[in-house]
Amino acid sequence: MTQVPDQGAIRGRSLFSSARDSFRLLMEDNFAVVGVAILAIFVLLAIIGPWLAPYEPFKAMMTETGRLNRLSPPNATHLLGTTAFGNDVLSQFLHGFRVALIVGLVAALAVGFISTVFGVLSGYFGGYVDDVLMRLTDIALSIPTLPFAIVAVALLGPSIENIILVITILFWRNGARIIRSAVLTERERIYVKWARAAGASHFHIIMRHILPNIVRIVFLWVTMSVAFAILTEASLSFLGLGDPTVVSWGQMLNTAFSSGNLRTAWWWVVPPSLALVLLVSSLYLIGRAYEEQTNPRLRRR
Amino acid sequence: MTDTTATRPVIEARDLKTHFQGRTGIFTALAGVTPPVARALDGVDISIREKEIVGLVGESGCGKSTLGMSLVRMYQPTSGSITFSGDDITHVEGRKLKDYRRQAQIIFQDPYSSLNPRLTIGQIIEEPLVIHGIGSATERRAKVERALDLVRIPAAENIHRFPSDLSGGQRQRIAIARALVLEPRFIVADEPVSMLDVSIQASVLELLDELSRELGLAVLYISHDIATVGYICKHVAVMYLGRIVEEGRAEDILAQPLHPYTQRLMAAIPRMDPGEVPERVELRGDVPSPMNVPPGCRFSSRCPYATELCRAVEPDLTDQPGGQRVRCHIHDDRAAKARPELERPQAGRITEIEDAGLLAQTAG
Amino acid sequence: MAPARTRSPALARDLARLDERLSAKPAAHLKVNGLSIGYSTLRGRFHAVEDVSFEVRAGTNLGLVGESGCGKSTVVKALMGLLPEFTGISGEALLDGQNILGLSDAQLEPIRWNRISLITQSAMNSLDPVYCIGDQICEAILAHEKVGKAVAWARAEEMFALVGLPAERLYEFPHQFSGGMRQRAVIAMALALNAGMLLADEPTTALDPIMQSQIMSRIRGIHEHMRRSMILVTHDIAVVAETCEAVVVMYAGKVAESGPTADVLERPLHPYTMGLQNAFPRLPVRGQPRQPLISIPGTVPNLLLPPSGCRFASRCPFATDLCRTTAPQLHTVGAQSAACHYTERADEFRAAAARPETWRNMRVGA
Repeated sequence: MTQVPDQGAIRGRSLFSSARDSFRLLMEDNFAVVGVAILAIFVLLAIIGPWLAPYEPFKAMMTETGRLNRLSPPNATHLLGTTAFGNDVLSQFLHGFRVALIVGLVAALAVGFISTVFGVLSGYFGGYVDDVLMRLTDIALSIPTLPFAIVAVALLGPSIENIILVITILFWRNGARIIRSAVLTERERIYVKWARAAGASHFHIIMRHILPNIVRIVFLWVTMSVAFAILTEASLSFLGLGDPTVVSWGQMLNTAFSSGNLRTAWWWVVPPSLALVLLVSSLYLIGRAYEEQTNPRLRRR
Repeated sequence: MTDTTATRPVIEARDLKTHFQGRTGIFTALAGVTPPVARALDGVDISIREKEIVGLVGESGCGKSTLGMSLVRMYQPTSGSITFSGDDITHVEGRKLKDYRRQAQIIFQDPYSSLNPRLTIGQIIEEPLVIHGIGSATERRAKVERALDLVRIPAAENIHRFPSDLSGGQRQRIAIARALVLEPRFIVADEPVSMLDVSIQASVLELLDELSRELGLAVLYISHDIATVGYICKHVAVMYLGRIVEEGRAEDILAQPLHPYTQRLMAAIPRMDPGEVPERVELRGDVPSPMNVPPGCRFSSRCPYATELCRAVEPDLTDQPGGQRVRCHIHDDRAAKARPELERPQAGRITEIEDAGLLAQTAG
Repeated sequence: MAPARTRSPALARDLARLDERLSAKPAAHLKVNGLSIGYSTLRGRFHAVEDVSFEVRAGTNLGLVGESGCGKSTVVKALMGLLPEFTGISGEALLDGQNILGLSDAQLEPIRWNRISLITQSAMNSLDPVYCIGDQICEAILAHEKVGKAVAWARAEEMFALVGLPAERLYEFPHQFSGGMRQRAVIAMALALNAGMLLADEPTTALDPIMQSQIMSRIRGIHEHMRRSMILVTHDIAVVAETCEAVVVMYAGKVAESGPTADVLERPLHPYTMGLQNAFPRLPVRGQPRQPLISIPGTVPNLLLPPSGCRFASRCPFATDLCRTTAPQLHTVGAQSAACHYTERADEFRAAAARPETWRNMRVGA
């Protein structure tokens, strides 16, 4: 990474070039390559999926005889068959990509943001700030995940926004702890001590010395949060607390289960389940490789 | 420049005390439990002039780093005053404190963790200028290059490198350049060479010496190594448990230390010539905790010459005929006259000897 | 000096027998021949130590001096069998004629502590925080001697008296000790079985100057009173001057110079030794101008890609093209030997090396 010395302003390594370096290192891990490949396909399908879908997801399919086309196994017109309500499984499945990724991404970004703010403030300022923020975190940690999610969604109403809100409330707390401990280490660095002696503001120190050195941990936590969020959304939808106006994989499974076809209509059950497993595994593969790369102790010799 | 401005101290501390209160939680604080107080720095006077390097020597925990950190206002002194160019800056805040921070810089011991590994050398040295909003980007670059020049690191090929590309000695030079770029008048160098290899220590010390003279800097050079102090400092102060126990011209203190603690510090230096190895009295125990300062003379719990007087009355720092100042009853009879009933210590008369173990008995 | 402790006659008799048996152990002789140690790293092979040979005669003290990264601690780890499993080690180290390099842990079991023991750099790491110090010393004794726990404990008490620690502190845990006391406890432990060979790896680095000198006086005492053989690893050439009869100066993984300490310090043959001596602060003598401190310019070469010639060539003010292309062999002059092509010009070099300009005028990359 040699840059051509120029006579203008001093420039350091841009965020882009460090991200590129990180990505290149990540690609040295075979599992990470598999993860990134799966994820890329999923993202692509999330973008173009709804256009690929041959039918409206909730459109009732009729047979030539004018009856509802219920539980048809895969055939030429319905590549993945139909549901018990006569909907096209492939169309629902393709719509599910976008929902899964939107929920995962938005919730994870919110989680990442809140846990970074809490973790950084708590770890950097310490003292009573830390006491107050960490007691709040302790309280948040004592919330039982599933009962809270069920009650909250039931009270707030089953919409995608509310599900994202609930997921955010549930997952920021662990992240705040992890990020706080990383900040505690960074705060003790001598260059941080020096910057204070040089008259730097807290904002300057956090932006220049603390955040760049914990960004990897934040990124790792965000990656993991995407997986948590997708799984949680799927669980809630499966329990019947999903947004009824959108199709998600969890909801497909819920309908299959509640209509009593979970055991027989494999074409209805397998695609969303498999997609969930693949998506979550790909995130874990990337996260694991990234963690290994970030933490030299885990690095192979 | 007239003589009077040259002799006026750049920085001066009077009776400076910095005590640390152990932190308590919300609940213990509400319960009214007072945490223990560590008297890390307990009444120190020091003054440093332009182009002067003052050496501050002592063992870990003696308060020498606390003094350095207090002088640059990293720690808030508990009492006493710090005067910088005639202005009292002991309690300044906000804008004025930031102005002071521009003038007073600190260099730390560890060259490996004192530079942010994610920033280039250029960015690291530029940072103080950014913090203080000095100059345009191009002007800042010129200043950075000048600072690199001062510490003899070729700017062109190093400005875009990262700290990991440099050796320990080079990193310490970068840390010095970063301190110099703001054109400060006072620098605290806290053990700047103790983590460097012996073969390059001299070059960094020499650099400090030259910079002090060329740029008219006042430097407080903190070190546990009394042997290196003599090379760049004219004036040396020896600290023990939060107080200065002896100070004076470096050559006097190195050649003829008067305080038993300084004597033992000098004796501890390993000698290259076996014929020069001095007698080394075993000191009892360890340096007491600053939370539990012994009554009387602070060194009395370990001093081989200590008597009842030492354990009862703390000696003052008194002027000696040669110009040194020493805090010891052996060299000051005022306390002995005031309390004639207590036995006074005498030079060379060992009163307390440590059972050093069979191994140490005949060893030099 | 030590308060008389009441020991039962049987215990006193067993202890006396143990002491007698242990003190009958002769001091060990160690000969290291052509020791090379290399690590495989992601970026290539790292030549930490190359072709190092030296000898410690029974009952003598050898100082192994050098700066960080010169390989001195690696040599000690190799002798104790403490290097990671896949380290490439070649050469031999004959402890009383038996090669101790490349032995398995099981084969090393009867050797470690019993015949060769270690005083480590950081005492905190070599003591187990969850056992009291006394138990840890006893464990070492019981592993090698068939005695009862009470006898082992009594032996530990004797060792504590030796290093100047009160016997009741044997019941305490490492964290209750100050740094200097911990280091003394580690010395007591290393002496517990009266091993014939002691390795002291920077035993005082983390300590304050006064504590350093007090610990060193005990280490010298081991030599004086117990006549053990010892290798003292340090970066402080003056400590070696005070402590060791012989010295090996290492630079960048190789031996630069070796010989009797007095000779090496008085008439160094290798320019690195001369530079190291100049860089060391000397105490001023009143009325005499103080010798200037002179640093050695440049930095230690990267041992992933060691230079083909002399490893010191890039920092040596006397280097020639020969030095930069051909690695020098050890040349012997009297009792000394040095890896320098120009040992016969050592007198001339010494005079030049004492002048700061000699080093300052060479232009190397800072």
